[in-house]
Amino acid sequence: MTVVPHELVAGVLSETPDLSVSLMPLRGRFSLRLMPEGTDPAGEVLGFRLPTRIGARQAAGSREVVCLGPDEWLVVCDDADRAVIEQGVATLAASVPHALVDLSDRELTVMVSGSRATELLTLGWPRDPQSVAVGTARRTVFDGVTVVIWRDGETQWRLDVWRSFAPHVLDLLLTGCRELAAG
Amino acid sequence: MSAFRVHGKGRVNHGRKVGFRFDGTPFEGLEGDTVASALLAHGVHLMGRSFKYHRPRGPVTAGSEEPNALIETRRGIDRSEGRVEPNTRATMAELREGLEAVSQNRWPSLGFDVGAVNDGFHKLLPAGFYYKTFMWPKSFWDKVYEPFIRAAAGLGRSPDAPDPDSYASRYLHTDVLVVGGGPAGLAAARAAAEAGLRVTLVDESSEIGGSLLSEPDVVIDGTPAWDWLAGEVAALAALGVKLMPRTTAIGYYHQNMIGLVERVTDHLAEPDPALPRERLWRVRARQVVLAQGALEKPLIFDGNDRPGVMLAGSAQTYLNRYGVRVGQTAVVVTSHDSAWSAAFDLAAVGTSIAAIVDTRAELREDLLGRAHALGIEVLRGHTVTGTAGRLRVSAITVNPVQSGAVGAGRNIACDCVLMSGGWTPTLHLFSHTQGKLEWDEEGKTFLPFETREDCQIAGAGRGLWGIEAALADGSAMGARAAEALGARVLARSHAVERDRTGSGVAKKELPTLKDLTSTRAFVDFQNDVTAKDLRLAVREGMRSIEHVKRYTTNGMATDQGKMSNINGLIIAADALGKPAPQVGLTTFRPPYTPTSFGALCGYHRGDHFDLTRKTPIDPWAEAQGAVFEPVGQWRRARYFPKPGEDMDTAVARECLTTRSAVGMFDASTLGKIEIVGPDAAAFLERMYTNPWSKLAPDRCRYGLLLGEDGFIRDDGVIARLAQDRFHVTTTTGGAARVLAMMEDYLQTEWPHLKVWLTSVTEQWATIALNGPKARALLEPFVEGLDLTPEAFPHMANGTCTVAGFPARLWRVSFTGELGFEINVPARHGRELWEILWQAGQAHGVCAYGTETMHVLRAEKGYIIVGQDTDGTVTPQDAGLGWAIGKAKPDFVGKRSLSRPDMLVESRKQLVGLLTEDHSKLEEGAQIVLDPSQPIPMKMVGHVTSSYHSQALGRPIALALVEGGFGRMGDLVHVPMEDRTLAARITGTVFLDPAGDRLKM
Repeated sequence: MTVVPHELVAGVLSETPDLSVSLMPLRGRFSLRLMPEGTDPAGEVLGFRLPTRIGARQAAGSREVVCLGPDEWLVVCDDADRAVIEQGVATLAASVPHALVDLSDRELTVMVSGSRATELLTLGWPRDPQSVAVGTARRTVFDGVTVVIWRDGETQWRLDVWRSFAPHVLDLLLTGCRELAAG
Repeated sequence: MSAFRVHGKGRVNHGRKVGFRFDGTPFEGLEGDTVASALLAHGVHLMGRSFKYHRPRGPVTAGSEEPNALIETRRGIDRSEGRVEPNTRATMAELREGLEAVSQNRWPSLGFDVGAVNDGFHKLLPAGFYYKTFMWPKSFWDKVYEPFIRAAAGLGRSPDAPDPDSYASRYLHTDVLVVGGGPAGLAAARAAAEAGLRVTLVDESSEIGGSLLSEPDVVIDGTPAWDWLAGEVAALAALGVKLMPRTTAIGYYHQNMIGLVERVTDHLAEPDPALPRERLWRVRARQVVLAQGALEKPLIFDGNDRPGVMLAGSAQTYLNRYGVRVGQTAVVVTSHDSAWSAAFDLAAVGTSIAAIVDTRAELREDLLGRAHALGIEVLRGHTVTGTAGRLRVSAITVNPVQSGAVGAGRNIACDCVLMSGGWTPTLHLFSHTQGKLEWDEEGKTFLPFETREDCQIAGAGRGLWGIEAALADGSAMGARAAEALGARVLARSHAVERDRTGSGVAKKELPTLKDLTSTRAFVDFQNDVTAKDLRLAVREGMRSIEHVKRYTTNGMATDQGKMSNINGLIIAADALGKPAPQVGLTTFRPPYTPTSFGALCGYHRGDHFDLTRKTPIDPWAEAQGAVFEPVGQWRRARYFPKPGEDMDTAVARECLTTRSAVGMFDASTLGKIEIVGPDAAAFLERMYTNPWSKLAPDRCRYGLLLGEDGFIRDDGVIARLAQDRFHVTTTTGGAARVLAMMEDYLQTEWPHLKVWLTSVTEQWATIALNGPKARALLEPFVEGLDLTPEAFPHMANGTCTVAGFPARLWRVSFTGELGFEINVPARHGRELWEILWQAGQAHGVCAYGTETMHVLRAEKGYIIVGQDTDGTVTPQDAGLGWAIGKAKPDFVGKRSLSRPDMLVESRKQLVGLLTEDHSKLEEGAQIVLDPSQPIPMKMVGHVTSSYHSQALGRPIALALVEGGFGRMGDLVHVPMEDRTLAARITGTVFLDPAGDRLKM
């Protein structure tokens, strides 16, 4: 059976010339919720325009954001940037009703890349990968588990997975790596 | 060289021999053979025994519709028990080196089978035999009839070892899925691919090509069929078409979701162990083209199941695709032109055609001319009244029919009979879509009519005949699918020479001279259903085809009546004196062909069977030898046994240590929801029974959540972190449900509230410290918070650092002891746990699990939702009336609580129970008031929780009892299997009723 690292330490888990799966180091991560009228002021604080189309992304420096729902964004940042974001968004409290919740420890990120990365995802992902444009992301399901899948390039993907779901997801991805390597 | 192999013929590789064994005897076949074709090449037709009568049987087809030649195979290099597969169709099993095949349903041997005694008693085993025989006496059912039926039921032997192979699954999205790789499917794929669409073409066979594989003499656009096929397959690949041979479309589900099973390794002698054996594809196709072709029907005559009797088209396939003559001397029996070409093909390679027997009086001149030229005797307007031979057909009796009268018979010696009753479109997948059929009176068959799915039917699957017609229709349907997707393409047509089109008539069972009750004219070969059985069913009152099917089991075998349904319908309709469409056709259901459980399970077996969630502290518990239990999706440490301890002693020690010193508990699995926004308190006021608006931002409160019906759904401690921010905890198993319920109310009832809910269960690792020394253990690590009882009393919460980690620290207790819950970001959970564990050694710390947690909370009368409640318990019933905010105008469930039946005093109420003899009650045991009343006794409640209490030195229990609050001090009785226990009703708080231990 697959040995999935129990401790979930960042690093490469499987690598072949056409496919690599790695667990990424933890990053800062926030759920930002607010009403549509708050998008502009919140964007000013964060340094980019909040995208309003679901799945659309924006980035500025090391910060990036994806719109996951009509009133929901996921903000990813460097660990050191967390306090800055919290303080910045807190200045909106009086004017923009919102919720900012730190999720930096809720999820882990798995990177899947290589010419067969998209094929690997079809083992557990019911969606059509071609329907997810490069530079967008989707909250979706992988092997029965809620994930956010980011398409960073034609053959480069990221999966945000809840911490306790990660061994299950990694187990299937690594089984898939062996299956793909065999033919 | 095998006697029946035709050198140079077929698509098999004559240069590559493949060794295999059948019933222990070594055989040699060729690369490209199936088990059936390889055995036929050696003149072996006998491959199995039939299900009911144990009649000798050989292959009657060359494809997946095969009802007879079902064998047991052992796959893989080790051929272990777990790799045994019963009921493999020999006609589909590709030959591979070392394959071990065994015949079934015979003892002691295939040639001599004791079970064949059934055949002699066939008149005693009519349709409905079981229904009639196993009725009386009733007492025989359990001991005699059921075991007998079970022993007789089922064909083949199930392996009793786990399957060591792996199975895989994938999702696939495609614009056009073409099912069937014959001429219609190829043309459809070409048209759709040329329109620039994503196209997938699947075929169940080892090769793409369908009927073209059996028709090498056809010339398409001036190119011989097989050259054209190779070019076409290459062209499709170049156009980017995903070509999937060995892949069966097993089911057509809603909204163009099609299930495919790909056989990945079964045909390989030494498969790579990393490869799955089979792969299930879940395909979402924007358009589907069904080009499944047609299946040949047998003719129904006495003795039509003898080995050597097979479908003419299949004999043609064995010859042209596999290079195998199915016999030396053949008689062709047909009601359709297509069998004539089988006769001509076989004659050309030296099989003598003793006669072509056609039921029709009028025949095509060109066919007659060709037969004449080949010197083949033609018997027109004839019937067949019997066959002879024990393990192989040796002769056939044919009789002229004139004006409905059967004349004298004539025996013709032969070693094979090639029959054709015409062709039936393959409707199975179309039928899965709940598509409507229409009756084609001329062809005496059902054709696809309309379906709500985005689906086209092409070629023989909608009754078209001939390769040219199939190509043209495939191309048109491919173009139609493309057009439906907004692409434009011109349908092509192809010029086909030597296309052998034809027609025929559909027949009920052939006329005979014999008494019908003595004939054995099989309709369903796999379930041994004869024409006589179908007529008997009608005589006995079955009117609907659905009843006839169930009474006779016609079409109920694993082949799902691929060969028998239409013949069965024609005979039943004839017996009923009604037109066939009024009698109707039974429904085809997925899967199209038998499918392995492995393929359906895919990756979800063993460790990957289901998701198991583990906390960050779980690895520590595992290293400590904890015993785990599942709670919802989580696994939790149940207790931490020291060497030599069983659960009771471990739990007793953990309880004692926690009450006397300090215990550590991993509470990370508790559901956590962060509720944030200006209306956060207003939202909680509406959801929970308790009041929230006045809770100070550094305090916690126990929250009780009801359903609209007023019954307890969940509970948990809720901390107010700031004016607009709450940290809600839920039960471990209730987390997702509670969040969904809250979102439901927020989005549908109160969308105007400015509040948002976020699951933070996994953001935080939670360590509970309980016991009189909890503060002493924790205090040295805390910075930024004064833990003295005055500054940080029971139900306080604060933000601080613990051992340098940012923490949300609460003073709460689920044990009745001084307690703290430390929430730290999940990444630090394990490290903090180990730091506290180390420091705790000086305080005599223990780690405790869920079992000790249950005991400690029960001693205090704290409920567990779902254990002490069952969805019918109100807050008052549970003694939690104090948790209701009396002044609140509303909360979920409030109105239900004032319904009259919610207020009656005889409701079941949660009470304590103390047994008189100090024995421990069984959880779930029923409670009665009077133990001497007659059985069935009136039950007034049940035990919900029961433990041995170390602190009290006796067992304690909680129970729901009718009118329990009014029975304090009463004796009730708990009847057990061997004795009846008496127990006294008490309050639910057994220990420290004043709560002094909490306040330390």
